[in-house]
Amino acid sequence: MTIGSGDSQNDPAGDDALVARIAERDEAAFRLVIGQHAERLHRIAYRMVGGAHEAEDIAQEAMLRLWDNAARLAARTDAAPVRLGAWLKRVVINLAIDRQRVAGRQSGGEVPERADETPLADEQMEQEESAGRARALIAGLPDRQRAAIVLTYFEELPNAEAAEVLDMNIKAFESLLHRARGALRRAFVALEEHPEEHPQEYGEERHE
Amino acid sequence: MSDDNPIGRSSALGELLDADRVPALSGGFADRVVGATSTRAAPLPELRRSKAGAGRRQNLRRFGMAAIAAGALASAAAATGLLDDLPIALPSPGKVWDTLTGQTPEPLATQGANQPSIRAPASASIEPDGEETVAIEGPIDTPEELDEAFRRVDNVRDERKTTRRGNVDRRIEETLERRREQGLPAPTPEGEARLRNRLEQMRERRDQQSVQRIKERRAELRKKIEEGGELTRDELIAAERAAGQSPEVQDRLQRLRELPPEERRARLRQWRENRQQRREERRQGLQQSPAQETEPPEPEPAELEAPLDAPEDPQTLDEPSPPPK
Repeated sequence: MTIGSGDSQNDPAGDDALVARIAERDEAAFRLVIGQHAERLHRIAYRMVGGAHEAEDIAQEAMLRLWDNAARLAARTDAAPVRLGAWLKRVVINLAIDRQRVAGRQSGGEVPERADETPLADEQMEQEESAGRARALIAGLPDRQRAAIVLTYFEELPNAEAAEVLDMNIKAFESLLHRARGALRRAFVALEEHPEEHPQEYGEERHE
Repeated sequence: MSDDNPIGRSSALGELLDADRVPALSGGFADRVVGATSTRAAPLPELRRSKAGAGRRQNLRRFGMAAIAAGALASAAAATGLLDDLPIALPSPGKVWDTLTGQTPEPLATQGANQPSIRAPASASIEPDGEETVAIEGPIDTPEELDEAFRRVDNVRDERKTTRRGNVDRRIEETLERRREQGLPAPTPEGEARLRNRLEQMRERRDQQSVQRIKERRAELRKKIEEGGELTRDELIAAERAAGQSPEVQDRLQRLRELPPEERRARLRQWRENRQQRREERRQGLQQSPAQETEPPEPEPAELEAPLDAPEDPQTLDEPSPPPK
Protein backbone atom coordinates (compact mmCIF):
# COMPACT_ATOMS: atom_id res chain seq x y z
CA MET A 1 0.00 0.00 0.00
CA THR A 2 1.27 3.42 -0.85
CA ILE A 3 1.38 5.89 1.94
CA GLY A 4 0.51 9.32 0.77
CA SER A 5 0.99 12.68 2.36
CA GLY A 6 -2.35 14.18 1.53
CA ASP A 7 -4.71 15.64 4.03
CA SER A 8 -8.42 15.25 3.78
CA GLN A 9 -9.23 17.76 6.51
CA ASN A 10 -10.58 20.20 3.96
CA ASP A 11 -13.25 17.69 3.07
CA PRO A 12 -15.39 17.30 6.18
CA ALA A 13 -18.07 15.43 4.29
CA GLY A 14 -15.49 12.91 3.17
CA ASP A 15 -14.14 12.68 6.70
CA ASP A 16 -17.63 12.06 8.05
CA ALA A 17 -18.16 9.24 5.61
CA LEU A 18 -14.78 7.70 6.40
CA VAL A 19 -15.37 7.88 10.13
CA ALA A 20 -18.79 6.30 9.71
CA ARG A 21 -17.29 3.46 7.72
CA ILE A 22 -14.52 2.95 10.26
CA ALA A 23 -17.15 2.89 12.98
CA GLU A 24 -18.68 0.00 11.09
CA ARG A 25 -15.25 -1.63 11.11
CA ASP A 26 -14.58 -1.08 7.40
CA GLU A 27 -10.91 -1.99 7.08
CA ALA A 28 -10.58 -0.43 3.65
CA ALA A 29 -11.69 2.94 4.97
CA PHE A 30 -9.26 2.63 7.82
CA ARG A 31 -6.42 1.89 5.44
CA LEU A 32 -7.44 4.85 3.36
CA VAL A 33 -7.21 7.16 6.36
CA ILE A 34 -3.85 5.70 7.29
CA GLY A 35 -2.65 6.39 3.78
CA GLN A 36 -3.87 9.95 3.91
CA HIS A 37 -2.54 10.92 7.32
CA ALA A 38 0.11 8.55 8.61
CA GLU A 39 3.14 10.20 7.06
CA ARG A 40 2.29 13.65 8.34
CA LEU A 41 1.44 12.31 11.77
CA HIS A 42 4.76 10.51 11.85
CA ARG A 43 6.59 13.70 10.91
CA ILE A 44 4.85 15.67 13.64
CA ALA A 45 5.56 12.98 16.20
CA TYR A 46 9.20 12.83 15.16
CA ARG A 47 9.64 16.58 15.51
CA MET A 48 8.00 16.44 18.90
CA VAL A 49 9.95 13.53 20.40
CA GLY A 50 13.08 13.44 18.27
CA GLY A 51 13.10 9.69 17.70
CA ALA A 52 12.00 7.76 14.61
CA HIS A 53 10.86 4.60 16.35
CA GLU A 54 8.97 6.39 19.06
CA ALA A 55 7.40 8.65 16.46
CA GLU A 56 6.17 5.61 14.60
CA ASP A 57 4.69 4.22 17.79
CA ILE A 58 2.87 7.48 18.38
CA ALA A 59 1.50 7.60 14.85
CA GLN A 60 0.30 4.03 15.19
CA GLU A 61 -1.32 4.73 18.52
CA ALA A 62 -3.10 7.76 17.06
CA MET A 63 -4.54 5.62 14.30
CA LEU A 64 -5.67 3.02 16.78
CA ARG A 65 -7.33 5.74 18.84
CA LEU A 66 -9.30 6.61 15.74
CA TRP A 67 -10.29 2.97 15.41
CA ASP A 68 -11.40 2.92 19.06
CA ASN A 69 -13.30 6.19 18.95
CA ALA A 70 -14.79 6.04 15.48
CA ALA A 71 -18.27 5.24 16.73
CA ARG A 72 -18.21 8.15 19.16
CA LEU A 73 -16.89 10.50 16.48
CA ALA A 74 -19.50 9.33 14.03
CA ALA A 75 -22.24 10.01 16.56
CA ARG A 76 -21.03 13.59 16.86
CA THR A 77 -21.08 14.32 13.16
CA ASP A 78 -24.72 15.41 13.42
CA ALA A 79 -23.70 18.34 15.58
CA ALA A 80 -20.52 19.28 13.74
CA PRO A 81 -18.59 17.69 10.92
CA VAL A 82 -15.48 15.78 11.92
CA ARG A 83 -12.18 17.34 10.91
CA LEU A 84 -10.20 14.16 10.90
CA GLY A 85 -6.82 15.72 10.12
CA ALA A 86 -7.03 18.17 13.02
CA TRP A 87 -8.33 15.47 15.36
CA LEU A 88 -5.50 13.08 14.52
CA LYS A 89 -2.84 15.79 14.83
CA ARG A 90 -4.21 16.74 18.23
CA VAL A 91 -4.02 13.14 19.34
CA VAL A 92 -0.43 12.88 18.13
CA ILE A 93 0.61 16.10 19.87
CA ASN A 94 -1.00 14.98 23.12
CA LEU A 95 0.54 11.53 22.93
CA ALA A 96 3.95 13.02 22.21
CA ILE A 97 3.70 15.43 25.13
CA ASP A 98 2.55 12.64 27.43
CA ARG A 99 5.43 10.41 26.40
CA GLN A 100 7.92 13.22 26.83
CA ARG A 101 6.64 13.85 30.31
CA VAL A 102 6.85 10.20 31.24
CA ALA A 103 10.33 9.98 29.74
CA GLY A 104 11.33 13.13 31.59
CA ARG A 105 10.13 11.68 34.88
CA GLN A 106 11.90 8.39 34.25
CA SER A 107 15.22 9.67 32.90
CA GLY A 108 15.38 13.12 34.42
CA GLY A 109 15.75 15.01 31.19
CA GLU A 110 15.12 15.26 27.50
CA VAL A 111 17.37 12.99 25.55
CA PRO A 112 17.36 13.29 21.79
CA GLU A 113 17.76 10.06 19.93
CA ARG A 114 21.24 8.74 20.25
CA ALA A 115 23.42 9.46 17.26
CA ASP A 116 24.85 6.59 15.29
CA GLU A 117 28.39 6.05 16.57
CA THR A 118 29.73 4.16 13.60
CA PRO A 119 32.47 5.96 11.65
CA LEU A 120 31.02 8.23 9.01
CA ALA A 121 32.30 10.36 6.24
CA ASP A 122 32.97 13.97 7.23
CA GLU A 123 30.02 15.31 5.29
CA GLN A 124 27.66 12.86 6.87
CA MET A 125 29.09 13.59 10.29
CA GLU A 126 28.55 17.28 9.75
CA GLN A 127 25.01 16.62 8.59
CA GLU A 128 24.35 14.53 11.67
CA GLU A 129 25.82 17.18 13.88
CA SER A 130 23.55 19.85 12.42
CA ALA A 131 20.54 17.58 12.74
CA GLY A 132 21.42 16.89 16.34
CA ARG A 133 21.71 20.59 17.06
CA ALA A 134 18.36 21.23 15.40
CA ARG A 135 16.72 18.48 17.47
CA ALA A 136 18.32 19.85 20.59
CA LEU A 137 16.98 23.32 19.80
CA ILE A 138 13.45 22.03 19.34
CA ALA A 139 13.69 19.69 22.30
CA GLY A 140 14.69 22.61 24.48
CA LEU A 141 11.34 24.32 23.95
CA PRO A 142 8.44 23.85 26.33
CA ASP A 143 5.91 21.28 25.09
CA ARG A 144 3.26 23.52 23.60
CA GLN A 145 5.77 25.97 22.17
CA ARG A 146 7.45 23.04 20.46
CA ALA A 147 4.10 21.94 19.09
CA ALA A 148 3.43 25.44 17.78
CA ILE A 149 6.76 25.52 15.93
CA VAL A 150 6.31 22.01 14.58
CA LEU A 151 2.86 22.76 13.21
CA THR A 152 3.55 26.19 11.73
CA TYR A 153 7.18 25.98 10.63
CA PHE A 154 7.70 22.35 9.76
CA GLU A 155 4.15 21.45 8.70
CA GLU A 156 3.37 24.95 7.43
CA LEU A 157 -0.13 24.93 8.84
CA PRO A 158 -1.98 28.27 8.98
CA ASN A 159 -2.24 29.70 12.47
CA ALA A 160 -5.97 29.07 12.66
CA GLU A 161 -5.53 25.42 11.80
CA ALA A 162 -2.66 24.98 14.23
CA ALA A 163 -4.75 26.66 16.91
CA GLU A 164 -7.55 24.17 16.23
CA VAL A 165 -5.12 21.28 16.56
CA LEU A 166 -3.93 22.58 19.91
CA ASP A 167 -7.51 23.33 20.95
CA MET A 168 -6.77 27.00 21.52
CA ASN A 169 -8.33 30.21 20.32
CA ILE A 170 -6.38 32.04 17.68
CA LYS A 171 -5.22 34.90 19.94
CA ALA A 172 -3.86 32.54 22.54
CA PHE A 173 -2.13 30.53 19.86
CA GLU A 174 -0.52 33.59 18.31
CA SER A 175 0.77 34.57 21.72
CA LEU A 176 2.13 31.07 22.19
CA LEU A 177 3.75 31.14 18.78
CA HIS A 178 5.29 34.53 19.50
CA ARG A 179 6.87 33.18 22.66
CA ALA A 180 7.96 30.02 20.89
CA ARG A 181 9.75 31.93 18.14
CA GLY A 182 11.41 34.18 20.69
CA ALA A 183 12.59 31.23 22.75
CA LEU A 184 13.84 29.42 19.66
CA ARG A 185 15.76 32.44 18.43
CA ARG A 186 17.35 33.02 21.82
CA ALA A 187 18.27 29.36 22.00
CA PHE A 188 19.80 29.54 18.55
CA VAL A 189 21.89 32.60 19.46
CA ALA A 190 23.04 30.87 22.63
CA LEU A 191 23.90 27.76 20.67
CA GLU A 192 25.92 29.76 18.17
CA GLU A 193 27.80 31.54 20.90
CA HIS A 194 28.38 28.46 23.04
CA PRO A 195 28.07 25.46 20.76
CA GLU A 196 29.54 23.17 23.39
CA GLU A 197 26.57 23.71 25.68
CA HIS A 198 23.46 21.71 25.16
CA PRO A 199 20.37 23.91 25.10
CA GLN A 200 17.68 22.73 27.47
CA GLU A 201 15.71 25.49 29.09
CA TYR A 202 15.25 29.03 27.93
CA GLY A 203 13.54 30.94 30.66
CA GLU A 204 10.14 29.28 30.68
CA GLU A 205 8.75 26.19 32.21
CA ARG A 206 9.18 23.02 30.28
CA HIS A 207 5.51 22.05 30.32
CA GLU A 208 3.26 24.96 29.49
CA MET B 1 14.16 40.16 14.18
CA SER B 2 10.74 40.48 15.74
CA ASP B 3 9.24 37.30 17.15
CA ASP B 4 6.02 38.10 15.27
CA ASN B 5 7.78 37.32 11.99
CA PRO B 6 7.91 33.72 10.87
CA ILE B 7 11.25 31.96 10.86
CA GLY B 8 12.64 32.28 7.33
CA ARG B 9 13.67 29.13 5.54
CA SER B 10 16.76 30.85 4.27
CA SER B 11 17.79 32.25 7.65
CA ALA B 12 20.56 30.61 9.61
CA LEU B 13 18.03 29.30 12.10
CA GLY B 14 15.83 27.97 9.30
CA GLU B 15 18.75 26.22 7.65
CA LEU B 16 19.71 24.58 10.91
CA LEU B 17 16.14 23.43 11.58
CA ASP B 18 15.83 22.03 8.07
CA ALA B 19 19.02 20.09 8.56
CA ASP B 20 17.13 17.58 10.63
CA ARG B 21 15.25 15.48 8.11
CA VAL B 22 12.53 13.13 9.16
CA PRO B 23 13.23 9.51 8.30
CA ALA B 24 10.64 7.78 6.16
CA LEU B 25 7.91 5.77 7.76
CA SER B 26 8.90 2.13 7.75
CA GLY B 27 7.27 -0.21 5.27
CA GLY B 28 4.21 -2.17 6.29
CA PHE B 29 3.06 0.51 8.68
CA ALA B 30 -0.59 0.29 7.59
CA ASP B 31 -0.55 -3.48 7.88
CA ARG B 32 0.85 -3.29 11.39
CA VAL B 33 -1.79 -0.78 12.43
CA VAL B 34 -4.62 -2.82 10.95
CA GLY B 35 -3.20 -5.94 12.54
CA ALA B 36 -3.07 -4.23 15.91
CA THR B 37 -6.79 -3.49 15.78
CA SER B 38 -7.60 -7.19 16.23
CA THR B 39 -5.88 -7.30 19.62
CA ARG B 40 -7.17 -3.92 20.68
CA ALA B 41 -9.32 -3.89 23.82
CA ALA B 42 -12.75 -2.35 23.50
CA PRO B 43 -12.82 1.34 24.47
CA LEU B 44 -14.24 2.33 27.79
CA PRO B 45 -17.81 3.65 27.82
CA GLU B 46 -18.26 7.38 27.79
CA LEU B 47 -18.41 9.12 31.13
CA ARG B 48 -21.93 9.95 32.21
CA ARG B 49 -20.99 13.42 33.35
CA SER B 50 -19.99 14.45 29.83
CA LYS B 51 -23.64 15.19 29.08
CA ALA B 52 -24.16 18.88 28.61
CA GLY B 53 -25.52 20.56 31.74
CA ALA B 54 -25.40 17.43 33.86
CA GLY B 55 -22.63 18.80 36.05
CA ARG B 56 -24.52 22.01 36.74
CA ARG B 57 -27.69 20.15 37.60
CA GLN B 58 -25.76 17.89 39.89
CA ASN B 59 -24.17 20.87 41.63
CA LEU B 60 -27.57 22.48 42.08
CA ARG B 61 -28.93 19.28 43.54
CA ARG B 62 -25.98 19.02 45.93
CA PHE B 63 -26.45 22.63 46.97
CA GLY B 64 -30.14 22.05 47.59
CA MET B 65 -29.47 18.95 49.64
CA ALA B 66 -26.85 20.82 51.67
CA ALA B 67 -29.31 23.64 52.34
CA ILE B 68 -31.99 21.20 53.43
CA ALA B 69 -29.55 19.34 55.67
CA ALA B 70 -28.35 22.58 57.25
CA GLY B 71 -31.93 23.65 57.89
CA ALA B 72 -32.78 20.30 59.43
CA LEU B 73 -29.73 20.45 61.70
CA ALA B 74 -30.55 23.98 62.79
CA SER B 75 -34.15 22.99 63.53
CA ALA B 76 -32.99 19.96 65.45
CA ALA B 77 -30.52 22.06 67.46
CA ALA B 78 -33.22 24.56 68.31
CA ALA B 79 -35.72 21.83 69.18
CA THR B 80 -33.35 20.01 71.51
CA GLY B 81 -32.39 23.17 73.32
CA LEU B 82 -28.80 23.01 72.18
CA LEU B 83 -28.83 26.72 71.50
CA ASP B 84 -29.52 27.36 75.16
CA ASP B 85 -26.01 26.12 75.95
CA LEU B 86 -24.42 28.63 73.63
CA PRO B 87 -23.85 32.29 74.44
CA ILE B 88 -26.47 33.33 71.94
CA ALA B 89 -29.55 35.17 73.03
CA LEU B 90 -32.38 34.27 70.71
CA PRO B 91 -35.32 36.63 71.06
CA SER B 92 -38.77 35.20 70.99
CA PRO B 93 -40.91 35.94 67.91
CA GLY B 94 -42.98 38.31 70.00
CA LYS B 95 -39.94 40.32 70.99
CA VAL B 96 -38.75 40.47 67.41
CA TRP B 97 -42.13 41.72 66.31
CA ASP B 98 -42.22 44.29 69.09
CA THR B 99 -38.77 45.50 68.11
CA LEU B 100 -39.84 45.87 64.51
CA THR B 101 -43.04 47.67 65.30
CA GLY B 102 -41.47 49.81 68.04
CA GLN B 103 -44.08 48.86 70.58
CA THR B 104 -41.55 47.68 73.13
CA PRO B 105 -38.18 48.91 72.00
CA GLU B 106 -36.20 46.61 74.22
CA PRO B 107 -32.73 45.80 72.91
CA LEU B 108 -31.54 42.28 72.36
CA ALA B 109 -28.82 40.94 74.58
CA THR B 110 -26.47 40.33 71.68
CA GLN B 111 -26.97 43.66 70.00
CA GLY B 112 -23.98 44.66 67.90
CA ALA B 113 -21.35 47.05 69.15
CA ASN B 114 -21.06 49.21 66.13
CA GLN B 115 -24.18 51.24 66.51
CA PRO B 116 -23.45 54.93 66.55
CA SER B 117 -25.44 55.87 69.57
CA ILE B 118 -27.97 54.76 72.12
CA ARG B 119 -31.41 54.57 70.67
CA ALA B 120 -34.40 55.04 72.85
CA PRO B 121 -38.03 55.98 72.55
CA ALA B 122 -38.46 59.31 70.83
CA SER B 123 -40.03 60.80 73.91
CA ALA B 124 -39.99 60.27 77.61
CA SER B 125 -41.87 57.18 78.74
CA ILE B 126 -42.98 55.60 81.97
CA GLU B 127 -41.23 52.50 83.25
CA PRO B 128 -43.32 49.74 84.83
CA ASP B 129 -42.25 50.90 88.30
CA GLY B 130 -43.60 54.35 87.55
CA GLU B 131 -40.23 55.99 87.07
CA GLU B 132 -40.08 58.41 84.18
CA THR B 133 -37.31 57.69 81.67
CA VAL B 134 -35.46 60.14 79.50
CA ALA B 135 -35.14 59.59 75.78
CA ILE B 136 -31.60 59.53 74.44
CA GLU B 137 -31.39 60.91 70.93
CA GLY B 138 -28.06 60.49 69.19
CA PRO B 139 -24.90 60.94 71.24
CA ILE B 140 -25.26 61.64 74.94
CA ASP B 141 -24.83 65.39 75.41
CA THR B 142 -26.99 66.36 78.40
CA PRO B 143 -26.69 65.41 82.08
CA GLU B 144 -30.20 63.97 81.94
CA GLU B 145 -29.30 61.67 79.11
CA LEU B 146 -26.13 60.67 80.92
CA ASP B 147 -28.02 59.84 84.09
CA GLU B 148 -30.47 57.82 82.08
CA ALA B 149 -27.60 55.91 80.45
CA PHE B 150 -26.06 55.26 83.86
CA ARG B 151 -29.40 54.02 85.12
CA ARG B 152 -29.71 51.57 82.27
CA VAL B 153 -26.15 50.37 82.75
CA ASP B 154 -26.80 49.86 86.45
CA ASN B 155 -29.90 47.83 85.66
CA VAL B 156 -27.94 45.50 83.44
CA ARG B 157 -25.07 45.34 85.89
CA ASP B 158 -27.34 44.45 88.80
CA GLU B 159 -29.05 41.78 86.77
CA ARG B 160 -25.79 40.23 85.74
CA LYS B 161 -24.37 40.42 89.23
CA THR B 162 -27.37 38.58 90.56
CA THR B 163 -27.09 35.94 87.88
CA ARG B 164 -23.39 35.47 88.44
CA ARG B 165 -23.74 35.16 92.19
CA GLY B 166 -26.55 32.71 91.73
CA ASN B 167 -24.30 30.57 89.56
CA VAL B 168 -21.54 30.55 92.17
CA ASP B 169 -23.96 29.69 94.95
CA ARG B 170 -25.43 26.89 92.88
CA ARG B 171 -22.00 25.40 92.27
CA ILE B 172 -21.21 25.52 95.95
CA GLU B 173 -24.44 23.73 96.71
CA GLU B 174 -23.77 21.11 94.07
CA THR B 175 -20.27 20.46 95.35
CA LEU B 176 -21.44 20.07 98.91
CA GLU B 177 -24.27 17.78 97.87
CA ARG B 178 -21.92 15.64 95.84
CA ARG B 179 -19.54 15.28 98.74
CA ARG B 180 -22.36 14.31 101.09
CA GLU B 181 -23.66 11.76 98.58
CA GLN B 182 -20.19 10.24 98.28
CA GLY B 183 -19.78 10.08 102.00
CA LEU B 184 -16.94 12.57 101.98
CA PRO B 185 -16.47 15.02 104.79
CA ALA B 186 -18.45 18.20 104.25
CA PRO B 187 -18.41 21.32 106.31
CA THR B 188 -20.75 21.49 109.19
CA PRO B 189 -23.55 24.03 109.02
CA GLU B 190 -21.45 26.34 111.14
CA GLY B 191 -18.41 25.84 108.90
CA GLU B 192 -20.50 26.41 105.80
CA ALA B 193 -21.93 29.61 107.25
CA ARG B 194 -18.41 30.76 108.07
CA LEU B 195 -17.24 30.06 104.52
CA ARG B 196 -20.23 31.81 103.01
CA ASN B 197 -19.61 34.75 105.25
CA ARG B 198 -16.01 34.95 104.01
CA LEU B 199 -17.19 34.76 100.46
CA GLU B 200 -19.73 37.50 101.03
CA GLN B 201 -17.04 39.69 102.55
CA MET B 202 -14.88 39.16 99.50
CA ARG B 203 -17.77 40.14 97.29
CA GLU B 204 -18.54 43.25 99.26
CA ARG B 205 -14.90 44.31 99.26
CA ARG B 206 -14.72 43.86 95.51
CA ASP B 207 -18.01 45.66 94.97
CA GLN B 208 -16.87 48.59 97.05
CA GLN B 209 -13.70 48.89 95.01
CA SER B 210 -15.68 48.65 91.82
CA VAL B 211 -18.29 51.18 92.95
CA GLN B 212 -15.57 53.62 93.90
CA ARG B 213 -13.89 53.30 90.52
CA ILE B 214 -17.25 53.65 88.76
CA LYS B 215 -18.09 56.74 90.79
CA GLU B 216 -14.80 58.39 89.89
CA ARG B 217 -15.13 57.53 86.26
CA ARG B 218 -18.72 58.74 86.09
CA ALA B 219 -17.69 62.01 87.64
CA GLU B 220 -15.21 62.47 84.81
CA LEU B 221 -17.88 61.68 82.23
CA ARG B 222 -20.38 64.03 83.84
CA LYS B 223 -17.79 66.78 83.84
CA LYS B 224 -17.16 66.18 80.17
CA ILE B 225 -20.87 66.51 79.37
CA GLU B 226 -21.22 69.63 81.47
CA GLU B 227 -18.37 71.19 79.56
CA GLY B 228 -20.25 70.72 76.31
CA GLY B 229 -18.79 67.41 75.25
CA GLU B 230 -20.72 64.40 74.11
CA LEU B 231 -20.43 60.65 74.42
CA THR B 232 -21.24 57.94 71.99
CA ARG B 233 -22.63 54.64 73.09
CA ASP B 234 -19.32 52.88 72.54
CA GLU B 235 -17.41 55.47 74.58
CA LEU B 236 -19.83 55.10 77.43
CA ILE B 237 -19.67 51.33 77.39
CA ALA B 238 -15.88 51.38 77.29
CA ALA B 239 -15.71 53.81 80.19
CA GLU B 240 -18.13 51.78 82.28
CA ARG B 241 -16.33 48.59 81.53
CA ALA B 242 -12.99 50.11 82.44
CA ALA B 243 -14.38 51.51 85.67
CA GLY B 244 -15.76 48.16 86.72
CA GLN B 245 -12.47 46.36 86.33
CA SER B 246 -9.28 46.40 88.27
CA PRO B 247 -6.27 47.73 86.32
CA GLU B 248 -4.80 44.23 86.10
CA VAL B 249 -7.98 42.81 84.62
CA GLN B 250 -8.27 45.74 82.24
CA ASP B 251 -4.74 45.17 81.08
CA ARG B 252 -5.32 41.45 80.64
CA LEU B 253 -8.54 41.90 78.73
CA GLN B 254 -7.04 44.62 76.58
CA ARG B 255 -4.15 42.36 75.64
CA LEU B 256 -6.62 39.60 74.93
CA ARG B 257 -8.66 41.83 72.64
CA GLU B 258 -5.58 42.92 70.73
CA LEU B 259 -4.61 39.36 69.87
CA PRO B 260 -5.41 37.99 66.41
CA PRO B 261 -8.75 36.13 66.44
CA GLU B 262 -7.15 32.71 66.04
CA GLU B 263 -4.74 33.25 68.90
CA ARG B 264 -7.48 34.73 71.07
CA ARG B 265 -9.66 31.69 70.48
CA ALA B 266 -6.71 29.42 71.25
CA ARG B 267 -6.05 31.26 74.52
CA LEU B 268 -9.68 31.00 75.55
CA ARG B 269 -9.73 27.33 74.66
CA GLN B 270 -6.60 26.82 76.74
CA TRP B 271 -8.12 28.74 79.61
CA ARG B 272 -11.23 26.56 79.57
CA GLU B 273 -9.13 23.41 79.43
CA ASN B 274 -7.03 24.58 82.36
CA ARG B 275 -10.16 25.45 84.30
CA GLN B 276 -11.60 22.04 83.64
CA GLN B 277 -8.32 20.42 84.62
CA ARG B 278 -8.21 22.43 87.87
CA ARG B 279 -11.73 21.33 88.68
CA GLU B 280 -10.86 17.72 88.02
CA GLU B 281 -7.73 17.95 90.13
CA ARG B 282 -9.62 19.62 92.90
CA ARG B 283 -12.28 16.98 92.78
CA GLN B 284 -9.73 14.16 92.87
CA GLY B 285 -7.78 15.89 95.62
CA LEU B 286 -10.88 16.17 97.72
CA GLN B 287 -11.64 12.51 97.23
CA GLN B 288 -8.11 11.47 98.15
CA SER B 289 -7.84 13.64 101.27
CA PRO B 290 -11.22 13.43 102.97
CA ALA B 291 -9.78 14.55 106.30
CA GLN B 292 -9.14 18.04 105.05
CA GLU B 293 -11.77 20.62 105.58
CA THR B 294 -13.70 21.41 102.50
CA GLU B 295 -13.13 24.78 100.93
CA PRO B 296 -15.86 26.31 98.81
CA PRO B 297 -15.29 25.81 95.11
CA GLU B 298 -13.12 28.43 93.55
CA PRO B 299 -15.22 30.77 91.49
CA GLU B 300 -14.31 31.07 87.87
CA PRO B 301 -11.75 33.76 87.06
CA ALA B 302 -14.35 35.48 85.00
CA GLU B 303 -16.69 35.53 87.96
CA LEU B 304 -14.11 36.75 90.41
CA GLU B 305 -12.39 39.27 88.26
CA ALA B 306 -14.73 40.22 85.53
CA PRO B 307 -16.49 43.55 85.87
CA LEU B 308 -20.12 43.70 86.68
CA ASP B 309 -20.98 44.44 83.12
CA ALA B 310 -18.64 41.86 81.67
CA PRO B 311 -20.28 39.21 79.56
CA GLU B 312 -20.87 35.79 81.04
CA ASP B 313 -18.72 34.04 78.52
CA PRO B 314 -15.14 35.06 77.73
CA GLN B 315 -15.90 34.56 74.05
CA THR B 316 -18.00 37.70 74.10
CA LEU B 317 -15.40 39.87 75.78
CA ASP B 318 -15.01 41.96 72.69
CA GLU B 319 -18.72 42.53 72.36
CA PRO B 320 -19.69 45.38 74.63
CA SER B 321 -23.12 44.95 76.09
CA PRO B 322 -25.54 47.76 75.39
CA PRO B 323 -27.33 49.49 78.18
CA PRO B 324 -31.04 48.88 78.38
CA LYS B 325 -33.39 51.33 76.85
